[in-house]
Amino acid sequence: MSENIKIVKNATCTFCGCVCDDMELTVDLDKKQIIKAKNACVLGRAWFAEHTIQEGPVALIDGKESKLEDAIEEAAQTLTKAKFPITYGLSDTTCEAQRQAVAITDFIRGTIDTTTSVCHGPSGLAFQGVGESTMTLGEVKNRADFVMYWGGNPAESHPRHFTRYSVTPKGMFTPNGKKDRTVVLVDVRRTASTPVADIFLQVKPGKDFELAWAMRALVKGHTVDASIEEETGISLEVLTDLVERMKNCNYGVLFMGMGLTMTRGRHFNSGAIMALATDLNEFTHFVAKPVRGHGNVTGADNVVSWQTGYPFGVNFSKGYPRFNPGEFTTVDTLSRGDADAALIIASDPAANFPQAAINHLHKIPVVSFDTKETATSQLAHVAFRTSTYGINTGGTAYRMDDVPITLRPAFESPFPSDEEILTALKKRVHELVIAKSRSQGAGTAKVAAPIR
Amino acid sequence: MTISLSLHTQPDVPLEAELISPDKLAGLTTAEIEKQTVEHGNQKTTIADFFTVAGEKSDSLVLEGDLSKIKHIGSGMSFGKININGDVGAHLGTAMSGGEIVVEGNVGDWLAPEMLAGRVEVKGNAGHMVGSAYRGSPAGILGGEIIIHGNARNEVGHAMRNGMIVIGGDSGDFTGVNMLAGTIIVLGELGIRTGAGLRRGSVVCMKNSKLLPTFSYSCVYQPTYLRLYLLYLQSLGLGIREEQIMGHYERWCGDIIEFNRGEILLYHE
Ligand code: SF4
Repeated sequence: MSENIKIVKNATCTFCGCVCDDMELTVDLDKKQIIKAKNACVLGRAWFAEHTIQEGPVALIDGKESKLEDAIEEAAQTLTKAKFPITYGLSDTTCEAQRQAVAITDFIRGTIDTTTSVCHGPSGLAFQGVGESTMTLGEVKNRADFVMYWGGNPAESHPRHFTRYSVTPKGMFTPNGKKDRTVVLVDVRRTASTPVADIFLQVKPGKDFELAWAMRALVKGHTVDASIEEETGISLEVLTDLVERMKNCNYGVLFMGMGLTMTRGRHFNSGAIMALATDLNEFTHFVAKPVRGHGNVTGADNVVSWQTGYPFGVNFSKGYPRFNPGEFTTVDTLSRGDADAALIIASDPAANFPQAAINHLHKIPVVSFDTKETATSQLAHVAFRTSTYGINTGGTAYRMDDVPITLRPAFESPFPSDEEILTALKKRVHELVIAKSRSQGAGTAKVAAPIR
Repeated sequence: MTISLSLHTQPDVPLEAELISPDKLAGLTTAEIEKQTVEHGNQKTTIADFFTVAGEKSDSLVLEGDLSKIKHIGSGMSFGKININGDVGAHLGTAMSGGEIVVEGNVGDWLAPEMLAGRVEVKGNAGHMVGSAYRGSPAGILGGEIIIHGNARNEVGHAMRNGMIVIGGDSGDFTGVNMLAGTIIVLGELGIRTGAGLRRGSVVCMKNSKLLPTFSYSCVYQPTYLRLYLLYLQSLGLGIREEQIMGHYERWCGDIIEFNRGEILLYHE
């Protein structure tokens, strides 16, 4: 072990939506490597360990090494020429970088969408349609005596969710931790999370909506036919007992997983859970919250909402924001072949999108930002290599409960941050847009003054 | 006399053409029509860049070609007629308040959302959200009629408040979801979760269907009003059988989570 060791206290893990901010990192500054991450879970430890510095060019144009300035120029030219450019990704970068991406999209009159549209986008839609009774995880820790997870496996996807926020921690009104809580899990199969549950409901696949709907009827005091067991796999007796417990708890919370949003019914499934929380507020305090995946996907929702009024799937082609998931969400704009250029930030759609969308990505010029080589950066026309947020760069990330958390970087990277390159790109894009509107003469599109 | 627009160049990104509607074009000459702006992605272009225009000063438009990348045709139209000989893209007839649109091919998503009055007839299939509310909006169509001869996908009549929607083939999931009033008639199969959150209004289907646990069976009867509807649909060439016109229907009430004042009628063989 080298002598040049630094300890970073209260650092933040940005791997999953828990955004745990109690890390104690031991950093070997010579090797530029985190050698120990105290308090991190297994996923967090892997995240910290795998982010070492790999040599490589900061920018590539068509796979050839290029100067950063040239790559920025090329990217700006590509994006300003496009008629239907799309911006996508954003969940694994800082809010400061996300903000620059929104500004760029606004200038080029493009469409901005985040990975929200392929995870909890439906919950965002439901939120707009049904409303949301919400909370912070601190409240859950201190107050919740009834905790229900629906359609998720936090033990494996968010390992510290149970221990840090919602099941075992001792809080102000939950002095005995887990003993003071009833934990319920609804899922289509047993998972690593199941042993935590006091009550486990194994719902038949694709029947979440029916189950939630029946629970809503019971909460409202209506009768439900016993055939519900045959339909959903849960007996009326179990359901009635559960609903009674829910009505009689002091503070209940419903956590929604992607098992709801990515199965048939999508936004109606999460909408049903949010509506159930609303119904239960007739009797006691109940809240509902999606369990968000990527580190700063919640920040992406917040930044895009703050800047455009809508959380994802926002189009600027008319010069003002329009929101329409299904029309302006990235899987759709790519699969239908609408987009004619793409700015992809900290995401790898070329590896995980449906085939029709990937095929279209191959046909159009792509500008990519990533900390490593990915399938998307390989097909990109201009690919930027950036430093990792939370490890090499500071900034802000939002926890899944919409709480902003400051990042404390561990060591420096030779690569610039997403924010630095995006800011330079924004400046150049803005110049090009102004020049274009001047050349088209007076009376054409007005371009707003540059923002900071 | 009609105004005819035939597509000569396929747009490479979506083209937004609210302007293609009798309200905007009826009083114009051919040369004026050619100069009207349409939005090709984020660029402003003219109708002549994509269409060959013939005819002038008419409230009847005839469109030719594969218009599936062209959106918002007939938005807000209040009179006249649009005939489309081919497929057409999303948002056709948004918030129209009068007049008629007839499509010989298929239509994209969001057909006639939030329409107030008027008529749309589609000979092919339709996408999602036929006659629905836009996201975040409390009510879908307030009136008018939408007739689809083929199939439609999810959320037909989402939050509709009045008017009639007819699907000659199958409809997708959540038909009549959050419906406030009005009538939906489906001649083929219903998808799942029909009428979730239904407040009032009727969803009628000629095939049996498994309903949500929040709907309760009330009776089998012969609804008189339905005969009028079905005779009218028969006259439009939709496949209605005589025994369906005089037939018995199971009446299911719901959604109990809301007022329980809505009904789903299922044809009883
Ligand atoms: S729970 Fe998530 S944020 Fe917390 S340490 Fe594990 S991976 Fe990191």
